Amino acid sequence: MSFDPKAATRTPPKVVTFKVKRYDPTTGKEWWQEYKVETYRGMTVLDALLKIKEEIDHTIVLRYSCRMGVCGSCGMIINGMPRLACQTQIAEVATEANPVVTVEPLKNHPVVRDLLTDFTRFFEKHKKVKPYTIRKDIEEREKGDFEYEMTPEEHYNIYEYTLCISCGLCYSACPVVASTDRFLGPQALAYMWRYVADPRDEAWKERLELIDTDEGPFSCHYAASCSAVCPKMVDPAAAIQRLRSALLKYRLGMYKKEKIAQKKVVEVKPNPKPLPPEAQPVPGADPWKKNEEPVNIPIDELIA
Amino acid sequence: MVEKLKEKENRPGWIASINPWVLKIKNNPERVAFVLHRITGLLMALIIMAHIYVTGTPARVGWDAWAEEIAKAHGISAVTLYFFFFAGIAWYHGLNGIRLLLVEFFGVCIGKPEKPKPPYISPSLKACQRKLLYLVFILWAILWAATGYILFAS
Ligand code: HEM
Ligand code: SF4
Ligand code: FES
Repeated sequence: MSFDPKAATRTPPKVVTFKVKRYDPTTGKEWWQEYKVETYRGMTVLDALLKIKEEIDHTIVLRYSCRMGVCGSCGMIINGMPRLACQTQIAEVATEANPVVTVEPLKNHPVVRDLLTDFTRFFEKHKKVKPYTIRKDIEEREKGDFEYEMTPEEHYNIYEYTLCISCGLCYSACPVVASTDRFLGPQALAYMWRYVADPRDEAWKERLELIDTDEGPFSCHYAASCSAVCPKMVDPAAAIQRLRSALLKYRLGMYKKEKIAQKKVVEVKPNPKPLPPEAQPVPGADPWKKNEEPVNIPIDELIA
Repeated sequence: MVEKLKEKENRPGWIASINPWVLKIKNNPERVAFVLHRITGLLMALIIMAHIYVTGTPARVGWDAWAEEIAKAHGISAVTLYFFFFAGIAWYHGLNGIRLLLVEFFGVCIGKPEKPKPPYISPSLKACQRKLLYLVFILWAILWAATGYILFAS
């Protein structure tokens, strides 16, 4: 999604009408409800919805947590486009000529109530692609005395895809997910490509075989809406095309992962600068020993 | 009392693949291209069946009657209009099909992963597939107009 960095410096219309799509799960009734909200400069759609909840109608239900575009829980459809409510300035979506903001729950996710959607299926698909590094030698993961070698270029090849916050906006925008529940969706497949391309992961063959079905990248038709709505610039559309051409090459016996990162034992170097006294290990305290007598920390001495 | 709660399915369904404005997503002409590609693909599949039926006409009415009918297909007639309509569909599907083959099967023209920076536009939306898309639209207009010229003016 492209952001207007200056939107927060503009003053939105003084009073904005919020049209909110409501859903009552006890009766199955759906309706649009209007609220008038007095705005201020820098007000986001989430701020406005919370103001409505506090001052006008506390029955309205939504999900949010961080209020700063990090947790990915406040996704909703604002003026027809999937966005994060906390990252959407009212000044960006409402104009003096049309001071109306429509808010709907995300599409493609079942609605629990009002703006609250159920992400169970979404996360099941996320789980299906095994979103973690897999190494053949399981035990080496348990020892912390080494790192996997990786160049900065290799890192930037996958860095973009690691930024996903699982907000589900891409999944909500996808026209393929709109018509079939089987497609894994942009988020899961972007994750899959991130691990196929990550030199630290060894399971690329298993991964490619896992998605070699109609749930995988072959169901994508490159509408690229996922990349157009992603608030973190993850570019799932490109990840899926990379995955698809890798899979095609693999089927023709022409794909091989270029590099598997090898173990590099790290020398633990002493800190060149001596630590200040308050950061020195307390004599007698061993953090690795549990169920030990609590050590007596000489607080008075340290403060003095 | 425990109330029985019903979750509501909220998937737009197949309408999302024939109406690009089910959602009003900005900076996304690829979605319009996808919808047009699907519609033209399906129409071509229908037209090919009609085409097979029509090319069987000489067997039913004889070559002379067929040639007589074809000789009338000048200027604006049902036959030339049908060909004009078909040409529009086929040019778009073929041109955009080449773009899609490059993007989807060869994985080219989708840019390189980059470090995010404002205004946060995904690399694939700035890459040469977008320029190819505009080229497809321009060539489509030119070739369709040229086909119309050949059909109606000659
Ligand atoms: C110049 C020749 C052609 C090219 C380069 C071409 C290319 C393509 C490509 C790349 C796709 C996949 C699109 C996607 O992934 O969304 C496609 C889909 C399709 N094509 Fe073609 N095609 C051609 C001719 C035809 C013909 C003659 C027909 C009709 C009989 C046809 C019917 C279809 C249909 C029905 C689809 C499925 C559309 C969809 O799922 O969205 N195509 N074509
Ligand atoms: S890829 Fe982007 S839009 Fe999709 S879940 Fe991750 S952060 Fe959200
Ligand atoms: S509240 Fe966390 S992303 Fe919006």
